[in-house]
Amino acid sequence: MIRNGLFAKLFSIVFAVFMLAPLVVVIGVSFTPEGFLEFPPSGISLRWFRAILDNPDFIEAAIMSVQLGVASATIATVICIPAALAIGSGRFAGRDALQALFLSPLTVPTVVLGIAFLRFLSMMGLNGTFWGLVFCHVVIIVPFVLRLVLASVTGLDPSIARAATSLGASDWTVFRRITLPAIIPGVVGGWVLAFITSFDELTVTVFIVNPATTTLPVKLFSHITQTTDPLVASVSTVAILFTVALMLIVDRIYGLDRLLIGEGSR
Amino acid sequence: MAILELRDLTKRFGETVAVDRFTLSVEKGEFVSLLGPSGCGKTTTLQMIAGFETPSGGTILLNGRDLAKVPARARGLGIVFQTYALFPHMTVEENVGFGLEMRKVPADERRRRIAQTLDLVHLSHLSGRYPRQMSGGQRQRVALARALVIEPELLLLDEPLSNLDAKLREEMQLELRRIQQEAGVTTLLVTHDQSEAMALSDRIAVMQGGRLIQEASPFDAYDRPANGFVSSFLGKSNAIPGHLEGGAAGTKLRCRELTLDGPASGETPGPVLISLRPERIEFTGEAEGIVAGRVSERIFLGDKWLFKVETGLGELLVVRRNSGRREPEVGEAVHLFWQAEHLRVLSAESAE
Repeated sequence: MIRNGLFAKLFSIVFAVFMLAPLVVVIGVSFTPEGFLEFPPSGISLRWFRAILDNPDFIEAAIMSVQLGVASATIATVICIPAALAIGSGRFAGRDALQALFLSPLTVPTVVLGIAFLRFLSMMGLNGTFWGLVFCHVVIIVPFVLRLVLASVTGLDPSIARAATSLGASDWTVFRRITLPAIIPGVVGGWVLAFITSFDELTVTVFIVNPATTTLPVKLFSHITQTTDPLVASVSTVAILFTVALMLIVDRIYGLDRLLIGEGSR
Repeated sequence: MAILELRDLTKRFGETVAVDRFTLSVEKGEFVSLLGPSGCGKTTTLQMIAGFETPSGGTILLNGRDLAKVPARARGLGIVFQTYALFPHMTVEENVGFGLEMRKVPADERRRRIAQTLDLVHLSHLSGRYPRQMSGGQRQRVALARALVIEPELLLLDEPLSNLDAKLREEMQLELRRIQQEAGVTTLLVTHDQSEAMALSDRIAVMQGGRLIQEASPFDAYDRPANGFVSSFLGKSNAIPGHLEGGAAGTKLRCRELTLDGPASGETPGPVLISLRPERIEFTGEAEGIVAGRVSERIFLGDKWLFKVETGLGELLVVRRNSGRREPEVGEAVHLFWQAEHLRVLSAESAE
């Protein structure tokens, strides 16, 4: 155990406060009985949580976001597993270029991506469609998934696959029985991170949605540009609780530290 | 009959020749070691036998069958990897049973054979454990059981003991030899550890620069090294450059200003390398001494003493068994003696 010095402790506390303060404010505001954003709230009321039920377009947007997140994260993960296996354990020409290509969406400003996707989807006639959105989100979240899966693959002993082969397993059996189970922490971690990123995405999405495919962040954004009632706070609180619940479940099953730090399953 | 036969096996990586026309045969039940420093081609040779590397030339015959067209998964070899390569998400039992499962062995026979093999490696009590819950020595045994349970024609061991600490390594050497003999399995060991190779093998094949340098029993390789490389790689050795002169009365060796009686030697007169094992040198009185010197370093190793002695032949290593008697101190003048028959005359080019 490393003992932290006073300065390190102080820094950690300041950092935690800095990270958590906005959440505390949003959750606090959501319980206000008043019709405007107020912090600290003058009383405790569930008025704005009830208001969510009176605004079915928020619920629809939330369902849309979950569907979009699940579809994009799943597709991105399916793409990234073979990509990470090739990049992480293979030696071939163009390996670095391939890795750079997969990670490049991180380096392009999201506004630029948004405009590019808008043009592209219009050309393809997919603008505003669900699968058009899925496509764009996959591009945005692939770097996150790839990095986590790659961390798992890199930590994997290449002899393990060889051992299975020497015992008579076919390539597919080696993947299914040995490699995949060994990198599953990275795969699940990548999926969760990808889902949250997709669920949360605004900058690109705002360019390419139409009223039928509005996601929760876009809905919140457009709501806030028209009115400033605490409905956005209560919706955000529900979204925060949903994310925390998801994290808790994943932590129970796989251990978050292991997933997000990317330690192998040793 | 030879189980494994390597004929002129060659592997090139671009311009570099990793394995150069390597020929070796391993008899049924035999324990053979490929011994050499890192980069000598021993691991590449093992990879080719296992089917993980494709030879650039030569043939590999397993029980008379050419392996060139046989993929790694169909070779039926038992392999123990340096890292053990246990499947981390499977229990000991599942690890050991994997090969049987791949061979579609019925469940009850599978259970019987797993139990039998775990018994052989003394791990029956840990069959439900996961690899991460086990010590290095135990993982090593699991890896061995996993390779043995499929009853391979040939067991390949890739530096199997190098990840263990020194004490455990010695225990496992004895254990490995016992298991190999009980299972009666033909074994090829790849190692850079000369003591491991000598302790375990019936035969050692010393490799250097992709080539086979010497193939002999451990005793012969140690006692009659083929060249200066083998002599210095197997155990400790004093290498003295000298000049061989033939004569009717026997050979003479000239080293610096000294002339020594040499043993019978096949080397042609000329520059040679003389090899002398440190444990064949004795301390003696002035009258019998072949060469005089002064102790420059003395190290106590428990069961023996290690001396460095400055002499007219250069610095010589001397090893003496700890017999409980007083031994020379640092700075003390000593006289060294050895039997001429213990000198090995090697070709001068073979110096490292």
